[in-house]
Amino acid sequence: MPTILSAEHVTRTFSIGRGPDVVAVHDFSLQVEEGEFICLLGASGCGKSTMLNMFAGFIQPTQGRVLLRGEPITRVEPRCGVVFQSYALFPWKTVQGNVEFGLRMQRVPADERRRRAARFIELVKLQGFERHYPVELSGGMQQRVTLARILAADPEVLLMDEPFAALDAMTRQEMQEELLRIQEESRKTVVFITHSIDEAIILADRIVVMSARPGRVKAILQNTLPRPRHVSIQLSPDYAALKAEIWALVESEVHRHDGDTRRTPR
Amino acid sequence: MDGSAQRVTGAAAEQPRRLRMRISAALVIKVASVCSFLLAWQLATTTGLISPLFLPSPGQIVAQSQELIANGELWSSVLISSQRVFAGFVLAGLVAVPLGVIMAVWWPAKAIVDPFVSLLRPLPSITWIPLTILWLGIGEQQKVAIVFLGSWIYILFYTLASVQRVDPLLIRAARNLGARDFAVMWQVILPAALPGIIAGLKITLAISWSCVLSAELVAAQSGLGALIWQGKDWGNLPLVLVGMVAISITVLIADVIADRIAHLLLPWERHRRG
Repeated sequence: MPTILSAEHVTRTFSIGRGPDVVAVHDFSLQVEEGEFICLLGASGCGKSTMLNMFAGFIQPTQGRVLLRGEPITRVEPRCGVVFQSYALFPWKTVQGNVEFGLRMQRVPADERRRRAARFIELVKLQGFERHYPVELSGGMQQRVTLARILAADPEVLLMDEPFAALDAMTRQEMQEELLRIQEESRKTVVFITHSIDEAIILADRIVVMSARPGRVKAILQNTLPRPRHVSIQLSPDYAALKAEIWALVESEVHRHDGDTRRTPR
Repeated sequence: MDGSAQRVTGAAAEQPRRLRMRISAALVIKVASVCSFLLAWQLATTTGLISPLFLPSPGQIVAQSQELIANGELWSSVLISSQRVFAGFVLAGLVAVPLGVIMAVWWPAKAIVDPFVSLLRPLPSITWIPLTILWLGIGEQQKVAIVFLGSWIYILFYTLASVQRVDPLLIRAARNLGARDFAVMWQVILPAALPGIIAGLKITLAISWSCVLSAELVAAQSGLGALIWQGKDWGNLPLVLVGMVAISITVLIADVIADRIAHLLLPWERHRRG
């Protein structure tokens, strides 16, 4: 499989007030292959969102390069569609209006727009809610709209920033299944950020374990659990073995920062 | 997913019943409260407890207002004041809303306008009366100018704040979906700021009314403010009170109309839960 998205020795620092610059990401390199599902796994504040923001082109690296199909990403890149943790739906647009937004920006004609929006609304099982406003929907339904909105815009890569973190456990599990189904059907490349080891193992082909601040690649693990996958994979012995391996990596990270007031990974 | 939608509507159906009960009970109490106040007032003035020289009775006020309605003076006063408010308010909105948006998205504009806003803001609209009379006389233009001068800064503030408060995440999301600057402005920033701008316009409308009335009190031949001042000059206290009641009712009606328009312009705000 060819490489679609890559980071080459990326470092990103932030200047905060008069204090010394904070290094959020340090010398981060990664190659994402086409059709691959990658999870960036790390504790809060390890720079994984910073990395995602660079892939999306929202911010630029201080050093190094991020590339999409070999070209540097220097501005907001619509080919890398983002699913935000807090949904970021347009409250003044209905479900239909939100899902059509990307198509409208691409100047897709109205009837074609409606047809494609209907397809993705059906894909995320929201038929009948087309004329509802986001505020009328539950958190899980709103996240489905976000997913449909980005899928309708048909980006080459999906960047997902802890999209299910704000959902309750039951809804999260349902959404994970949904995402597995959609990704296995569409074979879209996904870069998925999470601080949940379980979520990473359920979803990913490869898991990038990030070290605590400054964020770097601590280890990259191949996840060979069979596909098509189901959340019940959590009951298998292979799952437990992989989880133990990742747990050991993450725990050494936590201990390295003992005394620091950082949250531990969940 | 369907279950969660039902939960929402189920809970919403349970609450309005109790809420409706309380609303109708509150209405009864409100009516009783006003009636007993009017009754006490009428009694206090007819028994001579309060001299009619200081406060006319509700009966006198009703008689006076019937006379004013019959000769058309009340209606024409309401109309002329409303026209002045409308003209000054719309003018202020046409200037201040675009200016506020520009100031919010382009900092040099804010730097240019800010010092003037800071200096003009502390001035009540009344302080403009001498200058505006000198420039425009005491006709319609001067009244409209007072309304404009007293209103535009508030509209500017609300617009500026609403645009600055637009969630940057929405702008990022729009750009990520392929929106360019023009689309970001018209499809994201303006609709996102609209509820705040409209709330500001509603508050400013009440301020516009106080501006026109102060202008009419100082120098005018017509309008509700002038009506009150006539009452004072002629020693006709019921006329003063009719004018005050008419102002109250007119501003309340203007408020209801503004609410209706806001409701039509912001369909997504109607569904806000809790």
